[in-house]
Amino acid sequence: MSTAGEQDAGLSLQEEHESKTHRTKRRDGDRQKKKRRNERRKGGTRAGEGEEDLQAVSEKRERSKRKRAKSKQETSRRENNEEEEAQLTGGKGTKARKDIRNEKTRRMEKEEVREVEENVDKGKKKQGSTKKGEKKEDGGKQLVKGKAREVKKKKHKKAETSSEPETSEEDDDEEEDNDKDVVRLECLSPEELEKLKEAVDERKKLIQSLRGKPWAMKKKLVTLRESQEFVEKYEGALGKGKGRKLYAYKVLMTKKWMKFQRDFENFKTGCSIVTVASYFLFLRWMYGINMILFGLTFGLVMVPEALMGRPYGSMPRKTVPRAEEASAMDFAVLWDFGGYAQYSVLFYGYYNNQRTVGWLKFRMPLSYFLVGVGTVAYSYMVVIRTMARNANESGVGDDNSFNFSWKMFTSWDYLIGNAETADNKFASITTSFKEAILEEQESHKDDNIHLTRFLRVLANFLVLCCLAGSGYLIYFVVRRSQKFALDGLENHTWWERNEVNMVMSLLGMFCPMLFDVISTLENYHPRVALQWQLGRIFALFLGNLYTFIIALMDEINLKRKEEKIVKFNITTWEASLYNGTVSENSTASPVTIHPADVPRGPCWETMVGQEFVRLIISDTMTTYITLLIGDFLRAVLVRFLNYCWCWDLEAGFPSYSEFDVSGNVLGLIFNQGMIWMGSFYAPCLPALNVIRLHVSMYLQCWAVMCCNVPQERVFKASGSNNFYMAMLLVILFLSTLPAIYTIVSIPPSFDCGPFSGKNRMFDVIHETLESDFPPWFSKVFSYASNPGLVLPFILLMVLAIYYLQSTSKSYREANVELKKKLQMQNEENKRKNKRAALKAQMDLEEARMTAQEQQRNNNASVQDQESGSLNSNINKEY
Amino acid sequence: MVSPAIALAFLPLLLTLIIRYRYFFVLFYRAVLIRMWKDCVTGLSREERAFQYVLTHATPGDPDSILDTFDVWCSKVEFISNIGPKKGKILDRLLMEHSPLTVLELGAHCGYSTVRIARSLPLGARLYSIEMDQRNAAIAEKVIRLAGFDDDTVELIVNPSDEVIPQLRSDYNLERLDFVFMDHWKKCYLPDLQMLEGSGLLGKGSIILADNVLFPGAPKFLRYIRKSGLYEWRIHRATLEYSKGIRDGMAELVYQGIK
Repeated sequence: MSTAGEQDAGLSLQEEHESKTHRTKRRDGDRQKKKRRNERRKGGTRAGEGEEDLQAVSEKRERSKRKRAKSKQETSRRENNEEEEAQLTGGKGTKARKDIRNEKTRRMEKEEVREVEENVDKGKKKQGSTKKGEKKEDGGKQLVKGKAREVKKKKHKKAETSSEPETSEEDDDEEEDNDKDVVRLECLSPEELEKLKEAVDERKKLIQSLRGKPWAMKKKLVTLRESQEFVEKYEGALGKGKGRKLYAYKVLMTKKWMKFQRDFENFKTGCSIVTVASYFLFLRWMYGINMILFGLTFGLVMVPEALMGRPYGSMPRKTVPRAEEASAMDFAVLWDFGGYAQYSVLFYGYYNNQRTVGWLKFRMPLSYFLVGVGTVAYSYMVVIRTMARNANESGVGDDNSFNFSWKMFTSWDYLIGNAETADNKFASITTSFKEAILEEQESHKDDNIHLTRFLRVLANFLVLCCLAGSGYLIYFVVRRSQKFALDGLENHTWWERNEVNMVMSLLGMFCPMLFDVISTLENYHPRVALQWQLGRIFALFLGNLYTFIIALMDEINLKRKEEKIVKFNITTWEASLYNGTVSENSTASPVTIHPADVPRGPCWETMVGQEFVRLIISDTMTTYITLLIGDFLRAVLVRFLNYCWCWDLEAGFPSYSEFDVSGNVLGLIFNQGMIWMGSFYAPCLPALNVIRLHVSMYLQCWAVMCCNVPQERVFKASGSNNFYMAMLLVILFLSTLPAIYTIVSIPPSFDCGPFSGKNRMFDVIHETLESDFPPWFSKVFSYASNPGLVLPFILLMVLAIYYLQSTSKSYREANVELKKKLQMQNEENKRKNKRAALKAQMDLEEARMTAQEQQRNNNASVQDQESGSLNSNINKEY
Repeated sequence: MVSPAIALAFLPLLLTLIIRYRYFFVLFYRAVLIRMWKDCVTGLSREERAFQYVLTHATPGDPDSILDTFDVWCSKVEFISNIGPKKGKILDRLLMEHSPLTVLELGAHCGYSTVRIARSLPLGARLYSIEMDQRNAAIAEKVIRLAGFDDDTVELIVNPSDEVIPQLRSDYNLERLDFVFMDHWKKCYLPDLQMLEGSGLLGKGSIILADNVLFPGAPKFLRYIRKSGLYEWRIHRATLEYSKGIRDGMAELVYQGIK
């Protein structure tokens, strides 16, 4: 049509002719359309017109089809994504769909008319259902027709159509009435069954490969629906005899599972893959890292010590002291990781400082140290590598230049399969447009800038107050807990003993909410607001963590003072013991004292490890409990109170909770930070964290699916992945700082842990170098560690980094330039094309003009000739 | 005993809740507490107090002035869930665009929306207003007459909507409703809509406007219109009347009939 129109415009010379052809074309098109329509009516024309029998058959087909559609509507068992989405889009979508539907309905109406005409006829047919012969005839004809249809539907498959006509026949009969079909199915011969199976497989294949087919969407949908129907119907019936029921059950279950998966998929995509799913991806990634950390600590530290080290009770450090023995197995004590838990491989203090353990000569202290360093090194490596990969993926694109057209054409998510999500998406798109427009306006005029500035300053002030308050509260609580510890923990309640962890977890949970509320004052763009929010939460967590660490440092110093006293006491005690034994019995060997009775120093490393483990445990518990109360209980209340409440609880006031991605990700990051910090002193921490992550993966997944609603303010935080990664890196650095500080600057306890008796923990390296390696190696090492060599090396590294950075910068610039060039070229091409088109038009015009001119000339010449001949004639006559 | 420090840690949560849901607290205060107190003090119902205020402050015979006075009373003095000026504009616009001849209003309350609708009706149009409560209906009657609309324009029917709707065709000789405005019990939205469908009063192009579909909210109603396919619908998002922060919406349905 359009080409014809163009030609029309171009060639007015051949207008007459052209328009004629055009008309005929249109007529042809109409005819074709009609033909197609007829074909669609299941080959009414194709299978021969006028044959009443056949028409009836086709009629039946239509009816069954419509019946199918109707039943589908009613039960709505098959929730096709597309179908659902079409419903969802509601007011907006229906308009667009209506046109399509109109077409359909028109066709339907026509069919209906026909149906009415032949209703009587069919009534006869139905009555005569006993007439098998006739039926068979029907079947035979259907066979032919079905074949035709199948061929049309599956052009790509040629050979295997032989089995399909039969199945389609089955299909139709089945549609007519089910009872008969069951009977029929049972008396099918094995070959037929085989064929049926084949057909089912084929349909399945078709369904799978449908997405890649170059068909119209409508056709795809129709095919999909039919195939699914078919497969569903016959799959369960394919088993043999007794196995059939089982098979049917299995099929049912797999179908349920598929549906669940699809729902999950819908949910994931529904609430914007960037947000919720990204959290779970991050969680999974974290889980992987923790698995490796766990493998390292478990395989290289805990298992060797448990298998080959000295057993429990052989040394004072491996025995529960006499005073604690009575309560060492109490649940309350174990829950706080005291008692038997404290004197086990789970903590630093249990390990012995003997150089090698077991028949493998496993170097335990060295292994302990290297694993501690290795976990951190590995974490650094992984985080940085991931960051680099993410940076590659994000590319160099400027998102700001085509803001509105981006929004216009890319904001709808076509995979949404959930009513609420669609509504939310709609709302979010509208708000994003509003915001964008507002932003655009604001960039042009800034009338109330003073008020905004004031509000922003006020908000920051409030947040600072909040941060200071929470910091002070934690400091206060930690101080109090030290006082309690001095008093003796037994005199205090459970609440008071766990105050620090509780307060930290609660503050970490509630303060972000408050920040969120405060941030509405600022009136930022959502993306900027998110960044502020993340920054604030980060500051809060970091402040809390560091307050905690500072308090721990105080405690470490206290313990070390205590240790000095104990050390002194022990020497005197040993001396007295020795003296006593000597005086009593001069010949006998020194009396063996049960290790539980030996006095021992306060092992500050174990204390630190315990603190971290407790923190992790309480953090986990708080998370789970809030999940249960804040999400699940709330969802249950909202859901079921809604039947008898005076307003809509679901849409309005309490509503369901939203899944707070940023908060959760930050929680995860800080949790990981604590793991990194504490795992040197408590090798069990990675194991605990693995368990925690595993449980929270499934628990949160469940909570998200059943009691959360997608966030209303969905926005693409582009490149936020790397933002989180950068945060993780910072946290990693900040959490390794205190660990490294303690390792380097504080001497280890004298009577516990793998490094006892050494001046510093890293002396274990020197020791190994001296005793386990050949002397030349240690010499080389000492040369290599000479500052004269190290400093130039560092300098070289810095230079290399600088060089690489500058080259990458220049590459980026080149990229941008290339992009610009491409754009320019594109525009140039467009202009050229336009010019060419214009020129062609001009030429055409010219040609037409000249043609007209020529015609006129011809006419004129003809006239001339005529007049000339006339003249000559006249002349002749004269 | 829980230590005070842990209790203090809950302070941010408390603050958050208060700030986030402040509009709801304000609404609760204005709509419930003040109402109860005034009921005790004056011995009049809320609607009667509103009417007294209107009587003393508005110009009789001028619908605009009456509406304005109502708005002032509802936003400054007490709270009545009228449709309010902002959502009222949407209603006015729809009425102006379609100029319906037969209008049904479910839930007149104290006559605010009735006056609002009657004000923008074309000549010869007729408004049937249904109110269940006797006392409210009496006040609504007075307000309507005060605004200067007579029996020919506005007919007030004092009966529950589910009783009136099936009778509309027989008792009031109605053939078709051009415009239906719903603002009564939110639970009745769905049954009344279905009753309207069943009665055959809706024709192609009839408009149904339902107020407060988000807050207090009519979830079943929304679910139904989403699924039924009989309507072309959209939701006008706005805020609750006389309150800034509570989001609310009006559902506009255009009846398409069965295709």
